[in-house]
Amino acid sequence: MTQAFPFLLLPHVWSSRNRARRRQKGDMLRAGMFGGVGVGVCGALFAAAYWLTTKLAVYEEFGDYLLRLGLSWLFLTFIAFLAFSGVVTALSTFFLSDDLRLLMGAPVSAGRLFMARFTRTVGQASWMVLFFMTPLLMGVGIASCAPLTFYLTVVLAVPPFLVIPVAVGAGMTLLLVNVLPARRARDLLMLASLLFAAAIVLTLRFIQPERLMRVENLPDVTDFFATLQSPITPLLPSFWAGEVLFAGLQGAGDLLHGAALWTTALAFTVILAAADRRWHSAGYSRSQESPKARVTSLRIVDALAYALPLSTVRRQLLVKDVKVFLRDVSQWLQLLPLFALVLLYLYNFSALDLERIPYMSGVIKNVYALVNLGMAGFVVATVAVRFVFPAVSAEGAAFWLVRTSPVSMRDFLWSKFWTGLVPMLLFTEILTVAANELMGVDPFLKVVAAITVVFMTFAMVGLAVGLGARYPRFGADPNQVAGSYGGVAFMILAVLYIIVMIVLVGWPSAMWLFGRIRNFRFSAFREAMMVASFVAAAALSVATWLLAMRSGVRALEEMNR
Amino acid sequence: MIAIEQLVKQYGGFTAVGGVSLDVKPGEIHGFLGPNGAGKTTTMRMIAGLLQPTSGSVIVNGHNLAAEPEEAKASLGFIPDRPFIYEKLTAGEFLKFHGGLYGIDGNGIMDRVHEMLDLFELRRWEHELIESFSHGMKQRLVMGAAFLHRPRAVCVDEPMVGLDPRGARLIKDVFRRMSERGVAILMSTHTLEVAEEMCHRISIILKGRIIASGTVDEVRRMAGDGDDELTAVFLKLTGGTGLQEIDELV
Repeated sequence: MTQAFPFLLLPHVWSSRNRARRRQKGDMLRAGMFGGVGVGVCGALFAAAYWLTTKLAVYEEFGDYLLRLGLSWLFLTFIAFLAFSGVVTALSTFFLSDDLRLLMGAPVSAGRLFMARFTRTVGQASWMVLFFMTPLLMGVGIASCAPLTFYLTVVLAVPPFLVIPVAVGAGMTLLLVNVLPARRARDLLMLASLLFAAAIVLTLRFIQPERLMRVENLPDVTDFFATLQSPITPLLPSFWAGEVLFAGLQGAGDLLHGAALWTTALAFTVILAAADRRWHSAGYSRSQESPKARVTSLRIVDALAYALPLSTVRRQLLVKDVKVFLRDVSQWLQLLPLFALVLLYLYNFSALDLERIPYMSGVIKNVYALVNLGMAGFVVATVAVRFVFPAVSAEGAAFWLVRTSPVSMRDFLWSKFWTGLVPMLLFTEILTVAANELMGVDPFLKVVAAITVVFMTFAMVGLAVGLGARYPRFGADPNQVAGSYGGVAFMILAVLYIIVMIVLVGWPSAMWLFGRIRNFRFSAFREAMMVASFVAAAALSVATWLLAMRSGVRALEEMNR
Repeated sequence: MIAIEQLVKQYGGFTAVGGVSLDVKPGEIHGFLGPNGAGKTTTMRMIAGLLQPTSGSVIVNGHNLAAEPEEAKASLGFIPDRPFIYEKLTAGEFLKFHGGLYGIDGNGIMDRVHEMLDLFELRRWEHELIESFSHGMKQRLVMGAAFLHRPRAVCVDEPMVGLDPRGARLIKDVFRRMSERGVAILMSTHTLEVAEEMCHRISIILKGRIIASGTVDEVRRMAGDGDDELTAVFLKLTGGTGLQEIDELV
């Protein structure tokens, strides 16, 4: 094997090319959706960076100081993400990837294999950082009227900056895999990463950054900036990258920090290559070991299922679905950030200080009740697309068992529906009722919201299950299923449905409250219209639910054509 | 017990199965032979209800699969060539789940599950997750599932793939015992020795059509060589040995 290491990357390049060439139903819609979201995000980041830089420019030296600090902090944020992403990606590229069986058995030198794997790891771990970083730096550069050399500096400074944390992450993986079996390490890493993300979100929220906006808290601002500096920051590549780019913005060059970036990146690569030569083989061998499956019998699931008035088929489908879900760490771990978001959501409502504007607080609270309803709808849609929409796809290659058994597709799909509905209904009811209670919303609106959420949950779970059956992706990872054509179509329909529901429920509710506050009596026609609006909302929900389910059943029945 | 009549499956302009008819009687083990791509698996999948035929009919235990799918499937056990099953269930849970799909529940189910686990020598692994099983163990587990609901007919695609000699012997014994109890077994296989040893009758399919059917001796006579091994007969019927080309290549 004398080909240079980029040869080993060709299969991925060719696969990507073939995927890009392959035309599938819904490609245009998908490309439009994701492309639109991407352009929107880039535009927003660019605008934010541009706006902030122009505002800082007003304060001359203090503005420069803050910009310099900001660049350093921007890179510090990225460096943490890159290191973590490096750990997770390296686990897959160096130890778990299927093609390793082929490559490890081929006469490929360890050095070439390492370089190919490391290049792939850096690419996979850092593309998202590049995606966010590019519009931000463009915004800063254009707002600062930076010379062209700034953009050249970006091109020269960013690659080594990406390599350093990814190399550290890959090194940690190498160490970890030599201590734990790779598959167990993956579960631990997933748990750690999700706890990390949830902790960041909660910490950021609970330190109450909104306090900085209050005039009486002004002295805190200086403390705030003081905390942004620490003695170790000059030793980090994020600081070097920030310094190099800041010098570039001024039209100057910072060779010292630039050289620090490049030499460190090269040194880390060499050290990692040496470590890889020494320990990769042992780690890869360990990663082949099948972990001793630790089984929890989950008898409580059986007991609960037997306590429910279900047919044998539905009971066994329920038991199977729940056990498979609970035993798949990668599945239930994703509930952790969800719980973090729910806490955040409820905390935000409890933190709303509406009493500061007493003459408006009643109206605003009730408006918020409708906003809360919409938010609950979006939360349901998001959770449904991740956990309910992939329900049929999750059968995977084992779906033949159900299809060859005397179970109708109707029974099968309705079983999926009820399995998804019960937890979703509990979740959204608690969310809505708790948020409205924390805000002290009018009792009438509390009842309306509680009932509406029931209808919305039925409709959206039905829509998710139905579309999930119509557009299944058997064998794909649930995250990929959620991002597939069907998943995107579900999200579009769900958002449209939520908007229509808010209008249909919000208008008569607001009218009724308005009439009660003002002691206003509506005409019979107006009252009939208000009732009709509620009825239309209920009818829309029931129609969405049942039509989607029927469509899903039909799709499954036609699957064998 | 399994009767298929003029079964056709077309994909656009391509005919994968072009008018196959078969009749597997109770207690008969019927071998379904053919080269790769001949239409064996497509036919098996149509019998199992995984694929809908373009035309023709499948009758299992007197029930037309198109008109009464649930009744027909209730009488059939299907064993696919690759044992994809729920990896996060234990062997015992999987069989219990499978029984549930066929309406078997209550106290009797665990006895039956244990019978199948014993029969296929998997009792030790009753409480182990399937993800830790070897291919052969998964294959045996799928077979246990297929026989769990006491089917009247079994459709099995390449049963010996991935089984060690002990496992293969076990499967042969189980099939024979099931056949003696009146279960009709339609078995597709590439292993001609297995077909010769086990099957009461065989059918050879080529390019989507049955080109020979009968007992092994009858098929031999059709090929014109009464004393040849089945392999030679098979190669003769399905078109050339290809050995000369292999010699030239090697």
